[in-house]
Amino acid sequence: MQPNNPKVLMAKPGLDGHWRGILVVSMALRDAGMEVVYGGNMTPQEIAEAAAQEDVQFVGLSLLSPGHMRLISETLDALRERAMEHVMVVAGGTIPEEDVPRLKTLGVAKVFGPGSPLEDIVAFFRQSACQPRD
Amino acid sequence: MKETKEKFFSGAGFPIKPVYTPDDLARLDYGKDIGLPGEPPFTRGLYPNMYRDKLWTIRRYSGFGTPEETNQLYRHEYELGQNGFSIAFDAPTEAGIDSDDPRAAADVGATGVPVDTLLDMEAMFDGLPIDKAATAIISQTMASPALTAMYFVMAENRGFDLRTLNGTTQNDLVTSLGCLYLVDQIAPRHQMRFAIDFIEWCIEAAPRWHPVSFDSYNYREQEISAVQELGILLATAVSYVEEAKKRKLDLNRFIRPFTFDMGCHNDFFEEIAKFRAARRLWYSIAKERYGTTDPKCWQFRFHAQSAGCTHTTQEPLNNLVRIAYQVLACALGGAQSVHANGFDEGLCLPTEDSMLLSIRTEQILQHETNITSTADPLGGSYYIEWLTGKIEEKACEYIREIESRGGVVEVLESGWIYTEFLKAMTDHQKKIESGEKVVVGVNSFRLSRESYKAPVSRPNLKAAEIQTAKLNEVKRTRDSRRLERALQKLRAVTADGGNIMPPVMEAVRSYATLGEICNVWRELYGLWRIPLRP
Repeated sequence: MQPNNPKVLMAKPGLDGHWRGILVVSMALRDAGMEVVYGGNMTPQEIAEAAAQEDVQFVGLSLLSPGHMRLISETLDALRERAMEHVMVVAGGTIPEEDVPRLKTLGVAKVFGPGSPLEDIVAFFRQSACQPRD
Repeated sequence: MKETKEKFFSGAGFPIKPVYTPDDLARLDYGKDIGLPGEPPFTRGLYPNMYRDKLWTIRRYSGFGTPEETNQLYRHEYELGQNGFSIAFDAPTEAGIDSDDPRAAADVGATGVPVDTLLDMEAMFDGLPIDKAATAIISQTMASPALTAMYFVMAENRGFDLRTLNGTTQNDLVTSLGCLYLVDQIAPRHQMRFAIDFIEWCIEAAPRWHPVSFDSYNYREQEISAVQELGILLATAVSYVEEAKKRKLDLNRFIRPFTFDMGCHNDFFEEIAKFRAARRLWYSIAKERYGTTDPKCWQFRFHAQSAGCTHTTQEPLNNLVRIAYQVLACALGGAQSVHANGFDEGLCLPTEDSMLLSIRTEQILQHETNITSTADPLGGSYYIEWLTGKIEEKACEYIREIESRGGVVEVLESGWIYTEFLKAMTDHQKKIESGEKVVVGVNSFRLSRESYKAPVSRPNLKAAEIQTAKLNEVKRTRDSRRLERALQKLRAVTADGGNIMPPVMEAVRSYATLGEICNVWRELYGLWRIPLRP
C-alpha cells in the first residue's frame, strides 16, 4: 500500500440510516486508490473493533442525525480504550458548524459538512496519510 | 447566436428543443390521451374542478422528541391551519426496535418520534381531532402492522369506529428497504406477505383507511431520474397487485384504496409532466392491465413533497426559493396533498420559524397566486404534453425491466436495485464536481463572505431516558399472561400463514411493544442484511 493511499474504515455510528453521503464518499476514496472497508451502521464499540481488526489508518464517520456529539465521542472513547489513538477520525454529515470546535477538541481531525467537494475530502485523506504521526 | 449551453437536456436526460409545436404531438389524440380533468385517463387531474372544489391538503411530515412533545407540535400545526398529520418516526421505531435497545440511545426522538406501545400513540394524539384531520402513518413495512394497530386501538378507545376512520399507512416495501439502512430486518419476501396481509385486513376492518401509500420520495433522494422514480413506484404497485392475484383477492377492492407519494425536484416542467404521466400510466395499468371496473381504482391519488436532496446547507435561505418552485410544480401537477420542506432541512429538524414558513409557503400559493382557479393550467402546452408522453413511455420500459427481473422483491433481494441507486448517486456527484450541474451557492456563485446563519434546533437529549422509564412502567403493570398468550398466538398465526393483523391488534391491546411484535417475526424468519455494497 502506498503511504498516500491509506486504509479507511467508513461507518455510521447509531441507527440513522441515511446512506447516500457515506456511500458516495466511500466510492470516491476507493476510486482514488484507497482501501475502503465499508462498515455501514455499527455501534461505537463495533467501529473500534473493526478499526483494530482491519488495522486502518482512518475512521470516517457519517452522521445525519442530531445524535452526532454523543455518538462521535462514544466512538472516540471506544478507540481510546483499545489504545487506537493513532487512528485519525474524520466526520461528515449534517453537523452544525457551531459543534465543530468541540468535536476537534474531542479528537476529530476534520469535519466535512454537506456539499463538501469530493476532491477536498480525497486530498485531505492523502495529505494526512503522508504526514508523520506521533 | 451562440446558446448559453452546448446541449439542453431535461433532468431525466431527454434532449430539449428550442421550441415545441403541434408537430411534436402528431401521435397524440386529445380525447384518448389527454381528455378532461376528472375523466379517464386522468392526465389533466382526478377531479373536474380540481382545486376550485377542494384545495390540496397541507400535510407536513413531522415529529420529534417524545410523543408528548410531538402532541404539542401537532396541536400547534393544526392551529396554524394544517389539516392533516403525517408521523415522522425516529430511526429505532422505523426499524421496529424499542427505545430501550442499547443501540438506540442516541437516536431516540432524534429524527422523528419514538413509539414503543399503545400509550405513546395515545399521548401523541391526545386531544387532536383525528376525525377532522386525517393522519398518515409513515411507517416501514415491518413496523406498519403494529404501529397502525396502535393508532387503530387508540382511535377505538376514544370511541371512533374503525369503519369510518380516514388515514393512510405508508407500508411500501421498496421505500422501506431501498433508501435508508434499517437494522434487524427480515427478508423482503416476508415483509411483502405482511404488507398484503395488512391491506387485506384493512379492506374489511377499516374500509376508509388507505393501507398503502406507494412512496418514491425517499429513493428519488438518491438522484435517480424522474423516469426511474415513476417506474419503480408503479412497479411496486404492480408487484403488490400480483401478490393479491396469487391470493385470488378481488382486485377492485384491493386496488381501490391505493395512494401514492412522490418527490418534487428542480426540473420544473419535467416534474409536472411526471405527475401527469403518473396518472395516465396508472389508469392504463389499473384499467387495461388488471381490468378493474371501479373508477376509484383508476385514480392516481398522490401526496408530493419538495425534495430534501436539492436543499443546501450553504446559504440556507436559498432553499425557501427552491421549495416554493417545487411546491408550485406539485400544484400544477395536480397533487392532492403537499409537504413543503423546512428551509433548514440540510442543517437540522425544522425550527418553529422554518415550520411556519413551510406552511405559509403553501398558503400563499393557495390563496394569493390564483393558480387554483382552473384545472391543469399547463394542459395543452406542446412542451408539457410532449414531455408527459416521453416520461410515460420511458417509465413503462423501466417497469418492464423490473418485471423481467422478477418484480420488486427480487430486485431488492438480488441487490440489482441498490446498484441502480449507487450508479445514480455517483453520476450525480460527478456532474456537480465537474460543474455540469449547477448548484447555486455550492459549486457556482459562491459567496466570498459569511452567509446567513440559520438557527439550529436541538433534539431532546433525554428522550431515550424518558421512553425507557415509560417502557419499564408498562412492562411492570401490564397483564403478562395476556401478553404472552397474544405473542404466542401471533407466532402461531404467522407460522401457519394466516393473516397477521388480528393477533397484532390483540398484542397491541395487551401493551406489547413494537420490538416485541417484530421480534416474533425475527425469530421465525431470521435477519436479512440489505445487500448494499459500495
